[in-house]
Amino acid sequence: MKHQLKVEVKNQSVAVERFLRVVRHRGFSLLQLQLEAIDDKYFVNMTVDSDRPIHLLTLQLAKLIDVHQVELAEQAHQQAI
Amino acid sequence: MTGAELLIELLAKHGVKDVFGYPGGAIMPIYDALYGAPVKHYLTRHEQAAGFSAIGYTRSTGKLGVCFATSGPGATNLVTSIADAMMDSIPLLAITGQVPTAAIGSDAFQEVDVLGISLAITKHSYLVERAEDLAEILQEAIHVATSGRPGPVLVDIPKDIQLAQVNFKPWLAAEDYQPTVDLNEVAKANTLLKEAKMPVAYVGGGVHAADAQDKLMAFLNETQMPAVSTLKALGSVLPDYEYDLGMLGMHGGQAANLAVQECDLLVCIGARFDDRVTGNLSKFASNAKIIHLDIDAAEVGKRKPVEASLIADLHDSLPLLDHPQTGESWLTHIKAMMVKHAWRYDYPGEKVFAPYLLNKLSQTMPSNGVVCCDVGQHQMWVAQHMKFNSPRNHLSSGGAGTMGFGLPAAIGVQVARPDDFVITVSGDGSIMMNIQELATIRRNNLPVKILVIDNQRLGMVRQWQQMFFEERYSETILSDNPDFVALAAVFGIKGQTITKASEVDDAVQALVDSKGPYILHACIDEQENVWPLVPPGAANDQMVTEVKK
Repeated sequence: MKHQLKVEVKNQSVAVERFLRVVRHRGFSLLQLQLEAIDDKYFVNMTVDSDRPIHLLTLQLAKLIDVHQVELAEQAHQQAI
Repeated sequence: MTGAELLIELLAKHGVKDVFGYPGGAIMPIYDALYGAPVKHYLTRHEQAAGFSAIGYTRSTGKLGVCFATSGPGATNLVTSIADAMMDSIPLLAITGQVPTAAIGSDAFQEVDVLGISLAITKHSYLVERAEDLAEILQEAIHVATSGRPGPVLVDIPKDIQLAQVNFKPWLAAEDYQPTVDLNEVAKANTLLKEAKMPVAYVGGGVHAADAQDKLMAFLNETQMPAVSTLKALGSVLPDYEYDLGMLGMHGGQAANLAVQECDLLVCIGARFDDRVTGNLSKFASNAKIIHLDIDAAEVGKRKPVEASLIADLHDSLPLLDHPQTGESWLTHIKAMMVKHAWRYDYPGEKVFAPYLLNKLSQTMPSNGVVCCDVGQHQMWVAQHMKFNSPRNHLSSGGAGTMGFGLPAAIGVQVARPDDFVITVSGDGSIMMNIQELATIRRNNLPVKILVIDNQRLGMVRQWQQMFFEERYSETILSDNPDFVALAAVFGIKGQTITKASEVDDAVQALVDSKGPYILHACIDEQENVWPLVPPGAANDQMVTEVKK
């Protein structure tokens, strides 16, 4: 199932590597990725696909120290950090 | 002061008295700052061992564990121990030297992208890119490692930043994100507790991480709820608790596994439904409703749906549970299962029976002694046949299952707790993984005890080859092992070899009574297996207790 996620990440190149690694490792394939640096944050829009429930990804992303916010677009589901 | 001096000063400020490591080119300024410093450095003989010693240090005390390594191969040698800390949620601070900033990305001598490697095996990691950031990064790193669900944090420090002049800047931790317990979930949990006829507490490593043994025992003593433990939780449930069923899972006790399979409510306290615990997940506790207590929201519902979840520090969540008395009929049934499936030590043969030996050791060693296991059959026998009064006294590589963990972990424990009895229980396979650490014992005159249970096999793999691979013993026969007692003697360590059951009692007493380091080499039958065993894919009530011919 496809999901659209909005993620706010600390503006550091390794932060992007770190959350993309989690996306792959937790069993989600990346269909689309947009990234924009504004001030001290990266604003990331991405579409992922997997048979696994999306909370298995959003909760893992929300744990990352560099990730400030994870928002599941189509359900307006928000994980505050 | 230099960046290197700042690191040492900051560690001292945080109460770090001991660190473990191995010097090299890119970390030389830090080793120079250590010279004469109040922080004592223990030189291990491999960086992996430095990581395990730091893990032993923190797991046995609750203090931060710190290890140092140089760039390139020094850092890559740390990878296994950092991964071990990640799987077991251990607060480990790994400091690695890196080539100078200007050389990064040039394939310089001993340059490896350690930050890149660290992503999959740390809770968080840093490459210090500017000297002025060093103080803040180090303080944040310690905070991240030790707060929330603990975990390993790596800080990679280029050599020029170690040498740069820096100022100490105090760093104030941003207010921790503290999950607030949802009161609706508390109400649901307490309704489930009240309605349950056959509840079981499933206790995990979170109790150790949260240092919440007192809260756990208060809950158990009030409810009299039967309790099963994961490998990492062993010691959390006090040994005199009447309904302590011991370890569950693949090599768990029969009463423990049957109780979980029969229960109508499973109260998961800081555990994560690991595959070695659950066996066939769809058949695990399939009649039970589940209450899950954990600090990490990502663990709730990860492998098993739950009816109620309390996401918070166990210190805060455990006291919110009500204490309904467990019903008499369930407790009578549990007691009957405990009697029926009690461990037996009346082994008929003349050879050393490892379960008896370990049970004897458990009874003979001081009650606050620490056992550091390696990985394999001996590890499971320790879990089954030894009793611990604190999870700080039973250290086992749980999630990662890392052979070679035991000896360096025991060294770290002995450094942290110099007056306590510390022993590594190892196998003839595992002990060779970090055998070089005998030199660290000798260098520091540490009274670490070593028990090698020797079946001249990689025993656990051999057992699986016997059961599931048609007895094709591929690369598991170690009949060419060295003479372990002679090997230890080279490092000034005394000891003895035993081969007969009749020698066990005196040998264990000699081991416990020995003043300095000591090795007991116990030869056992190579056919000896760990029972019970839940075969892969089976439910936990389908335990096998012998090899079917």
